[in-house]
Amino acid sequence: MGVKKNKKIDMATISGKQILINALRCQPTERTPWVPFVGVHGGALIGVNATEYLQNADHIIAGLKAAAERYSPDGLPVVFDLQIEAEILGCDLAWAAETPPSVASHPLDEDYDLSSLAEFNVGKGRIPLVLDAVRRSKEAFGEEIALYGLLTGPLTLALHLRGDDVLLDMFDEEEAVPKLFDYCADVAIQMVDAYIDAGIDVIGVVDPMISQIGPEHFEEAVTPALNKIFDHIRARGALSSLFVCGNATRNLEVMCATTCDNISVDENVGMVELARIARAAGKSFGGNLQLTVVLLLGETDDAERDTVRCLDQAGAGAGFVLAPGCDLPYAVKPENIEAVAALVRDPYKLEVARNLPDKDKNDNFDDIHIPDYSKEPAVIVDVVTLDSAGCAPCAYMVKAAQEAGKAFGQPCEIREHKITGRDGLGYMTKLGCTAIPSICIDGKEQFASIIPARQDIVDLLQKATLAKV
Amino acid sequence: MSTREDLKTAIINGKRKDVKTIIPELLEAGETPVDLLEKAMIPAMSAVGEKFKNNEVFVPEMLVSARAMKEGMKLIEPALIEAGIKPKHTAIIGTVEGDLHDIGKNLVATMWKGAGFEVIDLGVNVPPAQFVDAIKTHQPAIVGLSALLTTTMPSMKTTVAAIREAGFDTVKILIGGAPITQSYADEIGADGYAQDAGSAVDAAKATLGAA
Repeated sequence: MGVKKNKKIDMATISGKQILINALRCQPTERTPWVPFVGVHGGALIGVNATEYLQNADHIIAGLKAAAERYSPDGLPVVFDLQIEAEILGCDLAWAAETPPSVASHPLDEDYDLSSLAEFNVGKGRIPLVLDAVRRSKEAFGEEIALYGLLTGPLTLALHLRGDDVLLDMFDEEEAVPKLFDYCADVAIQMVDAYIDAGIDVIGVVDPMISQIGPEHFEEAVTPALNKIFDHIRARGALSSLFVCGNATRNLEVMCATTCDNISVDENVGMVELARIARAAGKSFGGNLQLTVVLLLGETDDAERDTVRCLDQAGAGAGFVLAPGCDLPYAVKPENIEAVAALVRDPYKLEVARNLPDKDKNDNFDDIHIPDYSKEPAVIVDVVTLDSAGCAPCAYMVKAAQEAGKAFGQPCEIREHKITGRDGLGYMTKLGCTAIPSICIDGKEQFASIIPARQDIVDLLQKATLAKV
Repeated sequence: MSTREDLKTAIINGKRKDVKTIIPELLEAGETPVDLLEKAMIPAMSAVGEKFKNNEVFVPEMLVSARAMKEGMKLIEPALIEAGIKPKHTAIIGTVEGDLHDIGKNLVATMWKGAGFEVIDLGVNVPPAQFVDAIKTHQPAIVGLSALLTTTMPSMKTTVAAIREAGFDTVKILIGGAPITQSYADEIGADGYAQDAGSAVDAAKATLGAA
C-alpha cells in the first residue's frame, strides 16, 4: 500500500470530529478516525484515583483535556462508568482506586417489584456532575472532538438490578423479564435526552453482558429494549453505538440487526468477522486494540503492530473507527496510546509500523550478515529507511548522510537498507535502530527519526575514522 | 415410563419440573440413587459443559441446567447420605480480595457441583486468610480462585502464597477469570487454569490426576 500524499490538505479542512461522524455514518473518510476510550485512565493522567475522578467534574474535565492533548482523539467518552444508573436505583457500590466502582447489591434480588426501586431521574446521583462535565467538554473542545455519552445497556442494567438470576428468569418469567428490560430502556432514554441536551454527539449503549447470552435470548429479551433506545437516539438526531465486551461473535448478526449506527467490540471478537457482518448490514464498526496484553502491559512497538492489525483486518471500505476494546485500564501506558494516535495521523509512521518484523517470530536474522566494522578499511554509514524513493523523511535522511560523506572528504561508505525488504529488517534488528529512518555509523545508531545537521554527521565520521587508527 | 436418558435430557434442557417427576418414577421402578447420579445426572452436566465449551449453549442455558440438577439432587441426596455415599472431592471456591464479580465464580461452582464435587463457596472479595481458614476447616482437594479485573489479579498471587506459607502444599489451586492466562497461573505457582466454566471440571480433574 502506498503512502497517501494528500493527507495534510484534508486534515486542514475537515475536523477530526467530522471524520469520525462521517465514518460512523459509513461514509468514506480520508483517514481512519480514532476514539481512545479514556475512562478512569483520565484520573491516572492527572494523578487522582478512580474514586476521586468519577465523583468530581473538575477532575473529569482535567483528565479529558490531558487526553485530548496527548492522544489527539477524534472522539472521547466523557465518563465511562456503568454503575451511574444502578447507583441511583438503589444498588450499593464498592469503590476502587483503579477501576470504576462495582455493584455490590441487587435491589430486585428477592422479587420483581419495579415499584420498589428508587425513582430515576437525571437530577439524581452523579448525573448532574456528568452533565456538567459534558457541557464543559463541549465548550473546551467540542468543535474538534466528538463527545460520546455512555449509558448502561438494558441487559447489564437488568443484571445490576436483579443479579444473575435474570439470566435464569429468561426461561420462565415471561412477564417480568420483558417489563424489566423495558424499564431499563426507559431509564436509558432519560439518559439519552439529558446527554443530547447537554451537547453529546454520539450515544454509546454499553452492554458487556451481551457476550454471555446466545442469539435467541438476545433477540427475544434484548433487541426490543435496544431498538427502543436506538430509535429514540435517531429521532433526536444523534448517532448511536452498541458497545460489547467479551466474545460476542455469535451475536454479531443479531446486534447488527438492531437499529444502531455502529457496533464496537473488544479483542475477543475477530475484526475480520465483524467487518464482514457489519458492512453487509450497513453498520459502521469499531475496536479492538488489545487492552491488557498490548496497551497495558506491552511496549510502543506492540501498540503499533496492533494498530496495523486492526486497520488491516477492518479492510478496505468505509465505516471503521479505531478504538481500544473497552474502557482503557487506569494504569495503561500513555506512551502506548500516543503511539496509536501517531500512526492514525501519520501515514508514513503507519507504513513503518506495517513493516516492523513480527515480534513473535523470534527471528534473529542469522542470514543477514553485518560487517565487522572495526576491520573495514573505511567508515560505514548505514541508513535504515522505509524506502527513500517513496518516503520524504527517508529521502532527506539518505541525502543528509550522502552530503555529509562528500563534505567529510575522506573514505566512507553510505549504504541504504530498506525495511521493506529482509536486508533492512535484519540491519534494523541487529543495529538496534530505535526509529525509522535511522543513521548508524560503524554499527552504532547515532541519529534516529530526526534529520541531523550535516556538520553533526561529519564530526561523527571524523571520530569514527580516528577510532580506526 | 421414563428412562435415565429422559432424566439426562431434562437436565441438559433445564427442565426442572420434568426432573422432579422423572426421578421419583425411576426410583419407584428400582433405579438406585447412585446410578441416577453417576449415569444420568453427572453425564448431563458434563454434556452441558461440553456444549458451553463448543459455543453451542451460553451462560443462561448452563445456569438453567444447573438449577434442574439442583432440584434433582434435593430428591436423591437423602438416599445418597443414607447409603453412605460421599462426594469424591471437596472444593473451595471464591473471588479474590478486592474483586466483587461473581458470575464466573458461580458458574465454575455450578459445574463442579454438577461433576459431583462438594463445593464450599466463600463468595466474593475473599481475603487470603479466609481461604487459609476454610482450607483448615474443610480439607479440600481443590481451591478455585476467581478474578475479573486486571487490578485484582495480584490478589491471586498473594492468596496462593498465603496458602503455601500456611503449609498446605498438596491442595491443588486452580485460577480463572477474564484476564487470566496459563502463563499467569505458572508465574504465581497455581496448579492449573481453566479458560471457562466448561473447562473447569476437566482442569480440576487433570490437576487431581483423575480421569
